Amino acid sequence: MELLAQLAPKTFWNAPNGSSELWVKIIIAFFIGIGFFIGMMNVPTQMRRPIVFTVTFVSGLFYFLFWIYPAPINKAPEDAPRNTLEAFSFWISDSQAVVADLTNIIASFLIGLGIYSLLRVHLGKIKKQQRDWQFSVVLIVSMLAMILFGYVDFYMRLDPANSKMAGSGYVGWTFWQFGRDLLFNGLLQNMDAGMFSIVAFYILSAAYRAFRARSIEATILLVTALVVMLSLMGLVEFYWAQGVDSAHLSNNFKLDNVARWLRGNVQTPAIRGIDFGVGIGLLAMGVRLWLNLEKTGSAS
Amino acid sequence: MATLDPTPKSFAEKLQSVPKPVLYLVLFLLAALPLFFPVKLPNKPIDASIDFYAHLMQLPEGSKVLISSDWTNSTRGESMGEMEALLRILMRKGIKFVVYTTADPQAPQVARDTIRKIADEEGKAGGYRYKPFEDYVILGYYPNGEGTTSAINNKFLSICEGKKDWPENSPPRDVLQSPVLQGIKSVSDFKYLIMVTASSTNTVVLERVTKAPLMFMVTGVMVPENTTYYASGQLKGLCGGVKGVYDLETLMEDGLNVEGPHKVLSEKYTDVIPGFPGKQNAGKGNAYYPSLHFALFLLILAVITGNVGMFLSKRKGA
Repeated sequence: MELLAQLAPKTFWNAPNGSSELWVKIIIAFFIGIGFFIGMMNVPTQMRRPIVFTVTFVSGLFYFLFWIYPAPINKAPEDAPRNTLEAFSFWISDSQAVVADLTNIIASFLIGLGIYSLLRVHLGKIKKQQRDWQFSVVLIVSMLAMILFGYVDFYMRLDPANSKMAGSGYVGWTFWQFGRDLLFNGLLQNMDAGMFSIVAFYILSAAYRAFRARSIEATILLVTALVVMLSLMGLVEFYWAQGVDSAHLSNNFKLDNVARWLRGNVQTPAIRGIDFGVGIGLLAMGVRLWLNLEKTGSAS
Repeated sequence: MATLDPTPKSFAEKLQSVPKPVLYLVLFLLAALPLFFPVKLPNKPIDASIDFYAHLMQLPEGSKVLISSDWTNSTRGESMGEMEALLRILMRKGIKFVVYTTADPQAPQVARDTIRKIADEEGKAGGYRYKPFEDYVILGYYPNGEGTTSAINNKFLSICEGKKDWPENSPPRDVLQSPVLQGIKSVSDFKYLIMVTASSTNTVVLERVTKAPLMFMVTGVMVPENTTYYASGQLKGLCGGVKGVYDLETLMEDGLNVEGPHKVLSEKYTDVIPGFPGKQNAGKGNAYYPSLHFALFLLILAVITGNVGMFLSKRKGA
């Protein structure tokens, strides 16, 4: 099946980067895609569930076979299969990279969907002058400014005449590069870091008010947490270990050794147990979704 | 008409009701002051950090590693320090690297800026200045982490097809033309896949990448989960949070099993693994560890204070 064959060497399904052939194929694919979406939107309601089930099952089946079927070892591009079993193994191995590209393209659509959803909600809010509509204006202006400065900067850098911009410093920078730098490095990145750092204040406040030794279990948890936290404090660990003979029994009670014991014998087995349970649950959920047995959230 | 409660608070009640603004102010001061008045705190690197450092230092010059840079500035306090320490080691050892991301569209730019900063720093210090495309290549962002990571393990070069990166002072070129990717046919041609992450992409890599040894650099809250994979041997080394960065910087300064005033000993490694004395080893680990140290002190103090208050109240009530 050529559609899922390895795309190098070149086939009908691809074309050289930047070529007019590629652009024609992209435009054709775009219109086919639009037609597909329109078709899907007009499918009768009772047909939607079988379509979703079929796509889900085929997608799941592909990865199920990819993981379960024996994979070729050290396969060179020129290697040819010796029988049908090997041919299928080669095919599924070669196809996976193309499927990964397809999934990347589908995931990229989410960005477009996100922008559409954002614009629909916030433009509506501005139009109706709902509560805090000013924030919606800030959001949309910020988004458009970032897109504009980002793309102009990107296209300017594609020009060989502007190649110095890629170096360190501000050599050759114009209004657009400074604008992008201000928006991305000056504002977005710092606000990102600022937002996250606030968590420390909430953690402190929550620990102070809620972390109480009200029961035996809570006391064990509290003492364990305190030991592990103390072990992360170099100064405490250093003075705790002073005068301890490494050959003496007391060496076992050095802070780092107690913390290591807790991590290796309490924390790790507990997390493994939790992860194992979660893994089994995910497997069961995955099988239910794959076989369309999961009804939750679907139209009745 | 509202009246004020004239009953003064008991000592136990006071201990349990320290106002939030006071807590926040003390935390702010304890976290901020060490940034302006640096202090050098004693440190004993943990086994996971020692493994991480030792494995990297044992790589021969000219080796290649694959880096999954899945962090942005929201966790720069930890992740940027990890990335910087990693880059310093790689650049001083002459190890070339390929960077990709599956977590966040911002991540490639953040990684690019960090690499450029460390490359400039090394160049100014008299070392070799790493050049984009020649010594490292950035593949960019892949929106579907699961599929891409499977493709990395199954057919690495397929994720490079159609990707471009900027050589120095030049328009973008196909990454497959980069010297870094010459000789790479499979992910197994990389010595390690090193993941600098602040998100759940760690489990995606653990589940799907089987052909290359893995080492992780994770945030502090991710350490317990990833310790299970380190303990099982799935991870060859693990650097966690600010403490992990400080461990790496300590090892870069003092080496492992190297005689000196601050000798770092390891039960696991008998060989002497040198550091890079006299070079710029102190980074964000040295800068932020005192802040973490004093913030933890405050956290412990706050928890103890609240509990003492609770016990005193119970005693009074009994």
